[in-house]
Amino acid sequence: MESTPLDTQTTVESDVATRPEEASLPPLEWMQRNLFGGGQGSVGAVARSTSLTVVFTLLGLFAYQQLLNFIFSEETNWNSVRVNLRLLFTQAYPESDYHRIWVSLGLVLVLSGVGLGLMKVGRGISMKKIATWCVGWGVLVVLGVFLRQPSVLVGDDGTPLLADADGVALARDGLGALVYLDGSPAPSQGLSVVRESYGDAISSRSGWLLIGLVLIGIAAAIWFGFGDKRRRSTFLPAIPLSIAGIGALISTTWWYNWGNYTFSTDEETGVSGFNFEPSVKVAETTRNPWTIMFVVLVVAYVLGRRLRGRAFEQHFRGLLILGWFLAPFVTFFAILRGPEFDWAYVAAVDLPLWLAFGIGGAALMWALTKPGIGEVGRVLAVLVLAIAAFTWIAAFFGWFGMLQKVRLSFLLLGLTALLAPNFIGEARQRLTLVYVWTGTITIFHVMATIINTPSSIEVPTEDFAGGFMVSIYVTVFTLLFSFPLGVLLALARTSRLPIFRLLATVYIEAFRGVPLITMLFFFTVFVNLFLPEGMELALLAAVTIAFVLFSAAYLAENVRGGLQAVRRGQYEASDALGLTTVQRTGFIVLPQGLRVSIPPLVGQAIATYKETSLLAIVGVFDFLRMARDIIPNQPEFLGERKPALLFICVIYFVGAYAMSKYSQRLEKNLGVGER
Amino acid sequence: MSINDATVAVTEELATRDDMIICEGVDKWYGDFQALKGVSATIKEREVVVVLGPSGSGKSTWIRCINRLEQHQSGRIIVDGVELTNDTRNIEKIRSEVGMVFQQFNLFPHLTVRDNITLAPIWVRKKPRGEAEALATQLLERVGIPEQADKFPGQLSGGQQQRVAIARALAMEPRVMLFDEPTSALDPEMIKEVLDVMKDLARGGMTMIVVTHEMGFAREVADRIIFMESGEIVETGTPEHFFTSPEEDRTKLFLSQIL
Ligand SMILES: Nc1ncnc2c1ncn2[C@@H]1O[C@H](COP(=O)(O)OP(=O)(O)OP(=O)(O)O)[C@@H](O)[C@H]1O
Ligand SMILES: [Mg+2]
Repeated sequence: MESTPLDTQTTVESDVATRPEEASLPPLEWMQRNLFGGGQGSVGAVARSTSLTVVFTLLGLFAYQQLLNFIFSEETNWNSVRVNLRLLFTQAYPESDYHRIWVSLGLVLVLSGVGLGLMKVGRGISMKKIATWCVGWGVLVVLGVFLRQPSVLVGDDGTPLLADADGVALARDGLGALVYLDGSPAPSQGLSVVRESYGDAISSRSGWLLIGLVLIGIAAAIWFGFGDKRRRSTFLPAIPLSIAGIGALISTTWWYNWGNYTFSTDEETGVSGFNFEPSVKVAETTRNPWTIMFVVLVVAYVLGRRLRGRAFEQHFRGLLILGWFLAPFVTFFAILRGPEFDWAYVAAVDLPLWLAFGIGGAALMWALTKPGIGEVGRVLAVLVLAIAAFTWIAAFFGWFGMLQKVRLSFLLLGLTALLAPNFIGEARQRLTLVYVWTGTITIFHVMATIINTPSSIEVPTEDFAGGFMVSIYVTVFTLLFSFPLGVLLALARTSRLPIFRLLATVYIEAFRGVPLITMLFFFTVFVNLFLPEGMELALLAAVTIAFVLFSAAYLAENVRGGLQAVRRGQYEASDALGLTTVQRTGFIVLPQGLRVSIPPLVGQAIATYKETSLLAIVGVFDFLRMARDIIPNQPEFLGERKPALLFICVIYFVGAYAMSKYSQRLEKNLGVGER
Repeated sequence: MSINDATVAVTEELATRDDMIICEGVDKWYGDFQALKGVSATIKEREVVVVLGPSGSGKSTWIRCINRLEQHQSGRIIVDGVELTNDTRNIEKIRSEVGMVFQQFNLFPHLTVRDNITLAPIWVRKKPRGEAEALATQLLERVGIPEQADKFPGQLSGGQQQRVAIARALAMEPRVMLFDEPTSALDPEMIKEVLDVMKDLARGGMTMIVVTHEMGFAREVADRIIFMESGEIVETGTPEHFFTSPEEDRTKLFLSQIL
């Protein structure tokens, strides 16, 4: 057959000629244009925008000053945060098992490092951006140096010095009463604290001033040393730069005297207490693990870069995704459980059960994927599901005892069997399903065994270590489970079958109609009533389920929005090619629909992360509860709330900001090839 | 109905071939509106049929019934010996034997050109990936754009996209190809490149049903022209018969409006 003439003229080449860019404005003009209404328009309009700029600048400066005054005030006791860092992040996790936390963090860092290494490299950060960034921070620091009020002077006893209304200094006599220096009694009204002179204040902050000026200097050097063109077109790689930044921060633990603040228990006397040692290096137990963590990150990153472009990169990426999926479970178990196996029981019960389900299930999958099995396959799969359902019904009514593990295994078996028709074909395809099954059942049985085994780790609350770690875990598990559930709900709600639509709609509306906090209380109280006999959920598990169900309802609506954006023609094209409904959904509809819903999905993820602070109210020792209830009740820091609250604000912000940045990157990367 | 000599000759030759598509009294309602009124037609193997008719006459509806994108309410549709019923296995079988090309291309925007083409062969025909990719390369060469395999549809011109859509349908190695106004969404200078591919396909012996307004194509390539109006087949004949001596008044009116 002759081929049609080539027609390369109409090829759309991706931007051969780059768009001419506007030159950067000189600073003064930039200010004029951006702050004062551009000097265009009527005098009135300029005056209006100028006055708005002035008013909001003053407001901003005032807020900034107050914040600095608080942060650096002598009266703010940051020791309450410094000493309690461990408490804030992991609650009173036993010191002797702390290596488990480090190992878990290390695992996450390995995955992150390799992932970053494999990531598609963007253009990086332009010198222009770095200059802007430096000048911004530099100005902020310099402003801070001048804005912050001079420090309050303190006497030898650590209390602030006071003066009367005329500024004459006061002191305390032997009984603690306020007197003039000559011993005459002081008035009780109109007293004020004594501050150092403004000049002294500035000179005592010269270190900060220097930092600010250096930053501005760097910016100026970039701005004037590079021409306009080079400023825009010189890029530094973003990821290595960030890693270097982290490295620089961690290296300070080796040479800078951050001070050593710990809470420790004396082994001999059994007395515990806080130790404050300013102006020494941080403890080795902080420095060494962090240094190792950094090395791990770097090594993983380099490994990732090495793997890029290799033939097996695709497989490796798959492995990485699997790793991310398993990491929350693995680390959760690593941190929570030091199982003390009863090996006899394991050999007598757990192992045989695993073998039975593993081998039996594998044989079933092999049989179900036989070409030409037809309806028999579907019937068999439904039969297994029916057995699973029956074991659960039996559990509710207490007809006969059975290991929970067995019930869940049957359920897994039934669900996997339902997938079988998609794998009918050659041996290779059939084996895939067999592998999927053996993998699933093995992971499940290992986890179930670990969870059923008593643990040697003693955490203060029965659930889990607390603090930020619990916030993270609840967030991760919530996202991990609510995402698939939300997608399923969205599919059900857009399904052609009315019963699915009805169920999904009822579910979604019900969960969206109840405030989250109400639901959390409901679940902590009621969920155990819905469970089969002999099964009880820990508080944390109950609230996590509440979070999952709640978040799924919202995710479902976001995903539905995306699904509706998929055009009819896409369905028709898939149908015309003979794709099954499952294939059409998995390959065509979901990938397109989810892409559209990335921004709201990430919004929902961030909301979930922040909403975990509600855990404090239902009695979980989470991050917020540590800062709000626990620390202010320590004898040393009675009533000391503000520093810790400010601190957790910052940590929450960093996490949320990182997610939001990541989603922007994701959107950009996935935007390729969109119409 | 009297038919002229040329038509008789062609009809006799066609009669020796196997029936590929048989429609018998196909009715299709949208709510109370009847879009197809007893459509009966037989399309032979390797036959190229062009369907003409004014807008809203049911052309799209008819060919979309042939691969079950629309469901007919009464009458019979038999494709390559398999009747379209509610049995999903028959529908799946027929869909994988009938390729379709749409006016709006309907390529998958999130997949590269190559993946657009290989998706169905791999997952429906269960071809090994390597084989499917070799086929994709070969098909892209056939439609004249081998160098575009790694681009996304959004990066191609309309004509190129439509040729990819044709390659995608061909990758299933269908026995019948349906075209629903494949060139209507294209700029005039791109129409030819798509029509060339289709002519090529017709010469290669593909059974085709083409809904189009390209009279030149109809005249040159069609074995038979079917004229529809208001959901009915009004007249059928060879291009020669159809363009030179149409019998029905409605056909004459239609031709006088477009020619
Ligand atoms: N989904 C639908 N619901 C209701 N009516 C429909 C639907 N699709 C088509 N119709 C009607 O059926 C009739 C036939 O439509 P069809 O799309 O088959 O026409 P056509 O011959 O392809 O026209 P065109 O040349 O404009 O594409 C039209 O009157 C149209 O309004
Ligand atoms: Mg039409």
